[in-house]
Amino acid sequence: MNKPLKPSDMAKSSDCLCHIEPGELSPLPPPYADFNQATITPLKPEKVKNIETSLDDTVAIGIPKPASKEEEEELVRQFLSGLKKLFEKENNWTFLQPLLLSMKHCAKCQTCSNACPVYEMSGRKEIYRPIFRAEVLRRIYKKYLKPGGKITAKLTGDIDLNWTTIARLAELSYRCTLCRRCATVCPIGVDNGLITHEIRKLFSQEMGIAPKELHEKGSVQHLRVGSSTGMNPLAAKDSVEFIQEEMEEITGYKVEIPWDVEGADILLIHNAGEILSWPENVGAFAIIFQAAGVSWTLSSETTGYDAVNYGLWYDDVQFARVAVKHADIARRLKVKKIVVGECGHAHKALTVTADRLLTGDLNVPRESAMVTLDDIVMSGKLQFNPSRNNFPVTLHDPCNMVRAMGIVEPQRRILRKIAPRFREMTPHGVENYCCGGGSGFAIMSGYNFAEWRNLVSSRKKFLQILNAFQGEPRETPKYVCAPCSNCKGAIRDIINCYHAEERSRLYYGGLVDLIVNAMANMKKPIIRFGEEPSWAA
Amino acid sequence: MGFYILSYLCVAVFILATGYSVYRQLTLPVHVRWEIYPVQHETAAKAAYGGSYLEEVNWWEKKYESSLFNELKYMGPEILLLRGLWKENRSLWRVSFPFHFGLYLMIATFGLLLLHAFLTLWGIPAFAAGSAIKTLLDGLIVFTGWVGLILGNIGSLGVLYKRLTDLELRDYSSFADYFNIGFIFLFFLSAFVACLLGDPFLQGAKAYAFGLLTGGHSLNSYVPGQSLPGGVAIVSASLLVAYIPLTHMSHMYMKYFLYHNVKWDDAPNRRGGSIEAAIRKNLELKPTWKAKHVEADGQKSWRDIASSAPKEMK
Repeated sequence: MNKPLKPSDMAKSSDCLCHIEPGELSPLPPPYADFNQATITPLKPEKVKNIETSLDDTVAIGIPKPASKEEEEELVRQFLSGLKKLFEKENNWTFLQPLLLSMKHCAKCQTCSNACPVYEMSGRKEIYRPIFRAEVLRRIYKKYLKPGGKITAKLTGDIDLNWTTIARLAELSYRCTLCRRCATVCPIGVDNGLITHEIRKLFSQEMGIAPKELHEKGSVQHLRVGSSTGMNPLAAKDSVEFIQEEMEEITGYKVEIPWDVEGADILLIHNAGEILSWPENVGAFAIIFQAAGVSWTLSSETTGYDAVNYGLWYDDVQFARVAVKHADIARRLKVKKIVVGECGHAHKALTVTADRLLTGDLNVPRESAMVTLDDIVMSGKLQFNPSRNNFPVTLHDPCNMVRAMGIVEPQRRILRKIAPRFREMTPHGVENYCCGGGSGFAIMSGYNFAEWRNLVSSRKKFLQILNAFQGEPRETPKYVCAPCSNCKGAIRDIINCYHAEERSRLYYGGLVDLIVNAMANMKKPIIRFGEEPSWAA
Repeated sequence: MGFYILSYLCVAVFILATGYSVYRQLTLPVHVRWEIYPVQHETAAKAAYGGSYLEEVNWWEKKYESSLFNELKYMGPEILLLRGLWKENRSLWRVSFPFHFGLYLMIATFGLLLLHAFLTLWGIPAFAAGSAIKTLLDGLIVFTGWVGLILGNIGSLGVLYKRLTDLELRDYSSFADYFNIGFIFLFFLSAFVACLLGDPFLQGAKAYAFGLLTGGHSLNSYVPGQSLPGGVAIVSASLLVAYIPLTHMSHMYMKYFLYHNVKWDDAPNRRGGSIEAAIRKNLELKPTWKAKHVEADGQKSWRDIASSAPKEMK
């Protein structure tokens, strides 16, 4: 057992503040009990000799070690400068009020801890407790920025500030998926997820420190090349053309995917990850919209064919740039509304968070694809044969779509209509658990981070999925419906990590796949369980 | 007279500190939306499962509706009975509820004492000795006072015990946390002892409240300050009134902003509306973040930066 840690231990020098021993992770039921002794593969010394690794068993950012004491001191100064800016309206009008309130009013009652899947599944490792990182920031703020802080710190909670504290805090801000389950249960309304978000911002906006997958290969590439996947507009169009052909081959239904149609009713923006990893999702949307007679278009403009907005997780400036770009494309296309495809964080970024950023004609109406699809499915424009989806289905609720937006029922109405063996997870809806891939984790896989994600942050979701299908024969294929690209990525990785396709016949996919699979005029199924079609053509 | 001067000063500190806190909240810039569902002022059907108006097709064509009734229906039990804590952290609720409810009853008792003092001062005939209203008010004061003191003592001891013995709480508790609980316990204990030993009907408290309105003129010869526990109760209560707004304990009322201005702030930004005007103002602010990709130089506004692509990677 590791000895109990306190926030002040963040400043104390050691090789590894928190280590997960065999058997400490929350147990999994059979046939997965062989994973109960699993630990995270140690980082290879030669690969990490120049980066900061003293927090725990993994690395999310890979912060270079400072070359000298002077450099360390300069980084500490930069950190304090950034911390100060978090509390200034010029620099942080975006979150100033929520941050001030959450920083001041925590009663340290620990109600949040039981709500956190990372903390629970890690075997209750202290550093993953929601309040731990918030308390570290709170103590630094009070001690180093408040008048008389160095004296009052002895009374209100002390902490030393050095490069070790800072490097660990940066890493620790990437051990929370920002699912905000903790904020839901806080009796006072304090939001530790928000404080984590603000820590990430401080590092990115002041010190230029962020995971490569989110920043350089993420939001920067999105704005420069057109997509965080690296696809430029030409490649995106080529790929979609290929999907168009594939769809006819897979389903027997000929579909036309429109580009850059000025004056269309809907600008549909997918997470471009769908184009590369789940092309059937893009095709299924096209089939549904075409069959329902919807006037719609995709945009081939840089940034316009990728709905992601990684800035939501770590950087307000990058967030604002991408949101403005999306809105501007819609404005110039003169569409009536933007519909955000199956991507949870893109939903929240463009529909909710950017609502207090877009003004005038940039404030183009935005709608969730769940809502648009519900309207189509319930309109009677499409004919369904629900028996084609005669396999167990459960629904994963993406945090950003459900807890952060209150879009709960539309997707359920659809499933109740087209999936006769649909069952809920426990808990579900706004009380759901994160897939473990939230806040960028699904796309972060440097060093051994993906392993940490699969074993720790996605573990609760895996347990929920197994519970939802309890009692179903092993050989029956089971479908986890995850209407979000990042969630799908995380669930795909869980299934692979735990060999759940072989052991439990677990499969996953989106909502549109299920809709198209049940459409009466499809000649062939779009959903396959391995080599096996989900229904006989 | 010294007690009264202390009480006046402490009330002044309370008003100034609370006024400043509230003013600060009201004048902070409009922030981006960060609500979390369920939002309790949604329609009853949606609030029940955590749904929002965003579930409606073309939601922007519809009127934004919020229900004050639904909100109150939720907030009543949340504030008075700590429903959230009951649901999520039952063992803490067992001590936290009597602690908080004891405080609420003390506030209620103080309100009733002031009402009593006003009615006495104005010499309203219906409030004459032996009248039904006076009997009722006297009874209420005794009831809320005693129940509040008993619950408060049990609760503050319970909270203190819990914080000392529960490792989860102890490891995050500072001297200030223990001091705060101890401070409140001191008030509850001294007031309890003062009433128990010499003032079971809270006559001294009534006299003190009357004195507060009249610059120290007492209703009768007994005021709590004449006994040690009574004096401690007045001093600790007065100091608490001044101290609470300066600490995180102001969550008792600042919770309003945590819920209404963050957790449940789902008001959409409409073209030409007041939110849009506030955003336009925010977009003119000039950030000074130092990371190269931000490209802030103190001259460019958020609007300039948001409509540009980064030239630098880091």
